[in-house]
Amino acid sequence: MQASRIQQRRNYALAALLFFIYQPVQAHFQLLYTAETTPTRGVATDWFMLFTHPAHGGPHMDMAAPEKFYLVSQRGDAAEPQVQDLLEYVEPLEFSSEQGITQAYSASLPRSVTRSLGDYVFVLQPAPYFESTEDKYIQQFTRTMVNVGGVPGNWAEPMGLPAEILPLNKPYANWQGGVFRGVVLADGGPVPNAEIEIEYLNHDPNLENMTLGEQAKVELPQDSFGTQTIYANAAGEFTIGLPRAGWWGICALAIGADTEHEGKELSQDGVLWLQVKDLQ
Amino acid sequence: MKAELSAALASLIFGLAVSPVAVAHNAICNCYEEPDNQVLCEGGFSDGASAEGVDIRVLDDRERVLLEGKMDADSIFTFDRPDVFFHVIFDAGDNHRVVIYEDEIE
Repeated sequence: MQASRIQQRRNYALAALLFFIYQPVQAHFQLLYTAETTPTRGVATDWFMLFTHPAHGGPHMDMAAPEKFYLVSQRGDAAEPQVQDLLEYVEPLEFSSEQGITQAYSASLPRSVTRSLGDYVFVLQPAPYFESTEDKYIQQFTRTMVNVGGVPGNWAEPMGLPAEILPLNKPYANWQGGVFRGVVLADGGPVPNAEIEIEYLNHDPNLENMTLGEQAKVELPQDSFGTQTIYANAAGEFTIGLPRAGWWGICALAIGADTEHEGKELSQDGVLWLQVKDLQ
Repeated sequence: MKAELSAALASLIFGLAVSPVAVAHNAICNCYEEPDNQVLCEGGFSDGASAEGVDIRVLDDRERVLLEGKMDADSIFTFDRPDVFFHVIFDAGDNHRVVIYEDEIE
């Protein structure tokens, strides 16, 4: 058992080394995870923020302190959207994995934040991350949407972010085997032919100890299956299938107007996470 | 036959127009324990419609009404927690009633 664990660590270290040497096509994804996106009533929520490669379960990248973490909530069609700054709840997290310690962040939000019925659009704006292997910065404007009780709200409203994926169907109510449609937006306008990457969160997060499960849920037959790449149409729209329950990340690449940071190339990406339920 | 169908269709359209809630929408209500021995109930509908004006009743275990009122502009109704075992009925009409028992209120 011990020998197998040592071998597993060796394999992981080798994989990490090969990753940095050969730079295979793996997508960086800013994770913004909570256990349940559709609670029936208001509950306290824990959030896990890790910059990672979700299909491969790593390597993970050190995050700088988030620039913004907030929500926009709305109950029903007629209500006005409410903005709530959540940065005060964000705590640094030393995320531990086979790779070692990675700087991540977490937040524990009291029930009062999500007590009311309706939609809650959580937005994380991390500081730009310098990816030395690509000699560029990456900044992913990341959204995860929660609905309390089944009363809809503002899930379909654009927020005018520098980079954003606008859902065309409810992002928190997707069955395994269904499809998800969206529009890629930059500063509120559609981005024609945007390059989009999709990855399955292949290692379940554990919010009790803020770790990722060691066992992959899906064995990838070949590296192309880890990151699915598609292009939006001329109107910025896209459709993807959701073949398995769990979490799916969608990332529209390099669509923001700012293309330079501290003298280097900057990729401003828009990320949206979906929690997909099993139809049983 | 055609006249009967037209009359039935007109009656259906009229019925939908005057109905307080459309039949495809579910009524939703949650209640929470609040400070100062208060209970807060919030209602809504699965189509996002407001619950303002919807009747709400608080009853004891012999179905006697302890207090009643209507949801406010924020679809909320707040009341003093009764001393006896109680339940709450959010009443948006036939097939659109939600019953919340005291032990479901946290």
